[in-house]
Amino acid sequence: MEQFRALVRAQDRQPVRYLVVDDSIFARKNLSRIIEAFGGQVAGEAGDGCTAITEYDRILPDIVFMDITMPQMEGIEAAERIVHLHPNARVIMVSSVGYQENIVAALQKGARHFVQKPVKPELLYEVVKYVLGEDGIAVEPQEEVNGESVQ
Amino acid sequence: MSFFSEDRANELRTIFFESAQELLQALNEQGMRLEKQPGNPEIVREIRRAVHTLKGDSAACGYRELSEFAHALEDVLTDEIAASAGASVAETVLASADSFESMLTAYRRSEQPSSYPAVRVMIEQLRGTPVAEVTPFAPEFAWTEYDRLLISQHAVRGQNVYNVGLEIDPQCAMRSAALQLVRNVLEEVGTPLAIHPSEETAEPPSVIESALASHHPREWIEKKCHVPGVVSRIVVQQSVASAQETIETPVPSQATPANVEVPAPNQPEPEALHKQSTSLTNVENILRVEAERIDAVLDLVGELIIAKSMFQAAVSDFGRRFPKDALYHRLHDALGLQSQVMQKLQRSVMKIRMVPVEQLFRRFPRIVRDLSKQEGKQVDLVLEGENTDLDKSILDALAEPLAHMVRNAVDHGIEMPDERQLMGKSERATIVLKAYHLGNNVVIEVSDDGRGIDVERVRAKAIERGMISLEEAALLDDSETLKLILEPGFSTAEQVTEVSGRGVGMDVVKGVIDRMKGTISIQANRGSGSRFRLNLPLTLAIIKALLFRVSERLFAVPLTSVLEIMRASEKDVHVVGQHEVMQLREEVLPLVRLERMVNGTASEREGKLFVVVVGVGDRKFGLIVDRLVGEQELVLKALDDQFMSTEMVNGASVLGDGRVVLILNVPVAVERFGRADSANRSSLEASA
Repeated sequence: MEQFRALVRAQDRQPVRYLVVDDSIFARKNLSRIIEAFGGQVAGEAGDGCTAITEYDRILPDIVFMDITMPQMEGIEAAERIVHLHPNARVIMVSSVGYQENIVAALQKGARHFVQKPVKPELLYEVVKYVLGEDGIAVEPQEEVNGESVQ
Repeated sequence: MSFFSEDRANELRTIFFESAQELLQALNEQGMRLEKQPGNPEIVREIRRAVHTLKGDSAACGYRELSEFAHALEDVLTDEIAASAGASVAETVLASADSFESMLTAYRRSEQPSSYPAVRVMIEQLRGTPVAEVTPFAPEFAWTEYDRLLISQHAVRGQNVYNVGLEIDPQCAMRSAALQLVRNVLEEVGTPLAIHPSEETAEPPSVIESALASHHPREWIEKKCHVPGVVSRIVVQQSVASAQETIETPVPSQATPANVEVPAPNQPEPEALHKQSTSLTNVENILRVEAERIDAVLDLVGELIIAKSMFQAAVSDFGRRFPKDALYHRLHDALGLQSQVMQKLQRSVMKIRMVPVEQLFRRFPRIVRDLSKQEGKQVDLVLEGENTDLDKSILDALAEPLAHMVRNAVDHGIEMPDERQLMGKSERATIVLKAYHLGNNVVIEVSDDGRGIDVERVRAKAIERGMISLEEAALLDDSETLKLILEPGFSTAEQVTEVSGRGVGMDVVKGVIDRMKGTISIQANRGSGSRFRLNLPLTLAIIKALLFRVSERLFAVPLTSVLEIMRASEKDVHVVGQHEVMQLREEVLPLVRLERMVNGTASEREGKLFVVVVGVGDRKFGLIVDRLVGEQELVLKALDDQFMSTEMVNGASVLGDGRVVLILNVPVAVERFGRADSANRSSLEASA
């Protein structure tokens, strides 16, 4: 995977912390790889909506990647509840084209952005940067910010 | 053109040359605007329009080369090329305008125009400019009436309203999701007053237009609207409708929902259309007439005035002979009415000849731009009082001298930017061209904030050139010294540059101004700029004059230059230095004996004499005359140079009784006969 300039938090220059929500282990692994390439830190993972909400409350991540279709509680509802409790939460919906209507609904309920599966890292990088806005800055990855090297 | 008669074809050509001149002027002006705002699509459109018209007109007149050239230029004047090629477009337009001008000159002389390969290359290079974007993204922002009302209400409340156009990334497969996201973004950065297409559309759109009220700056909105993966191109502009409506529409201050139902009192679109149509009719109401035809009318009016004074003389003779005759009174009344009408007629004709000085001034921005560029100087030209009216003949005569003065200002007056910085001035220099009315005169000023004129150097130079002696130099004050630069053969330029090398010198400038009965005054301070002020009569054709006799000869001076008339006696006259003077209240008044002009000698008068006090520039002189005859309107007849040396006298006129009166050129006469021991003899005596 290509090198990205590390996206770090503007306030403390620490890696951006992510919560990855998807019922597919493969999808979570893939997203985690991409996050590491962005110089970010996967602070937590969840396989369903309910866990996503509790995990969010526990780790208070900077960014949430949220799948749409999941068992127990779907992504829309989880996104809505998270945003309801944390109005500043940055939830990015990650979904395939077929679920467009759900994405529209999620956006109406407070999701910040969406990307299409399969995820293109370059685009996701721009999206994260956009969603972080002033709170995120890109720095040169001279040092391994999170201490782990990217495969 | 075969179906036109030769006359018709010639007339067409005349019209073509005139309109082409205006098109070139427009090209120059717009080209310079484009230089300041590269890629501005509105200016590019203006230029394209002018070039297009030039192309069509020249083709109609059979000027194939010009038409083809214009066509080539028009071809590359697309918004895309203008946007991506930047400043070189303006450069090409200006260069083309120059070529067009030379081509027109060639056509006028019925010569074959050259092809200007260098400019052609510039055009071809533009054509080859890689165009950044294939299809221009130009949202229409066609708001409905309701939208516009909303926009205007927000604008009136002092909010910024932006037109935001967003193109949905063609790569984005989820159009409705994209639309939703864009809505979210718009709501985040402001209050969307209108979003097109609205939610209900079945087909997801590829372009979203919105009127957005926001207190954020434009750049912020632009940044926020660049939504990655969703928006590929954006346009954010201050809403034209809002700006227009804030000025034009008195929108109800309380925007209640009830008002929303009412149609906007002034709908911007019909309003704009209406304006356009009125300006069109204005254009059509202007009639182009050859100056010669107007001059012919003016000549006839002049003859009428002479005829009138003949008639007047006859009637007053009749009145003396038959003072009780009823016919005399009828004649007298008719005469009164006639003179009233005549006065109006004369004034109307004069008005036709008046043109705004703008016609002259508009050439200068280009001249200054070219010169300053060539010399590496930074100069702003400020034009003031362009609407001041001036007689066409004066305006035409002024063109060359004024151009020379402006060139001088750029060439000698303005310093190089680094030199200016050292002096603590801003790097950009300013030249001001100003026109205004002052009494019956028009004043035209050329001033600059350059290095000014070093009076001591002028004095030294004049002595070195043998123009004045050391003793004379000591007697001259600063303003008199500065006047020396108007004398033939004087130049303070360190070196002759390409700029100053051409055209006329200041002495020629002075010659032209003298001929027009104008004056030049110079103000200059070393280091802080200089100002040349031309004071010119409004018109040359008909003047009110004061008539008087000197040595049995009839003279006149323009009434506008007469300040007062007084009686004096020979014993009031004193001699100071070389000048004869007398006391006028608190001032010392230099005297001029005009009889020297006639006889070559001054005749001593017994007792009383008349002194006509005239103003020349900011100075006063007294003309000693034998007898005052009266005031009269005189129609100037230019005198040919063969008649006499016309410097002294700038015209003659015929009175009603057939007598000829010479109209004195006051500035020259004062200069020539102002000195008591003057050895000058006029050639008037011999030739008149």
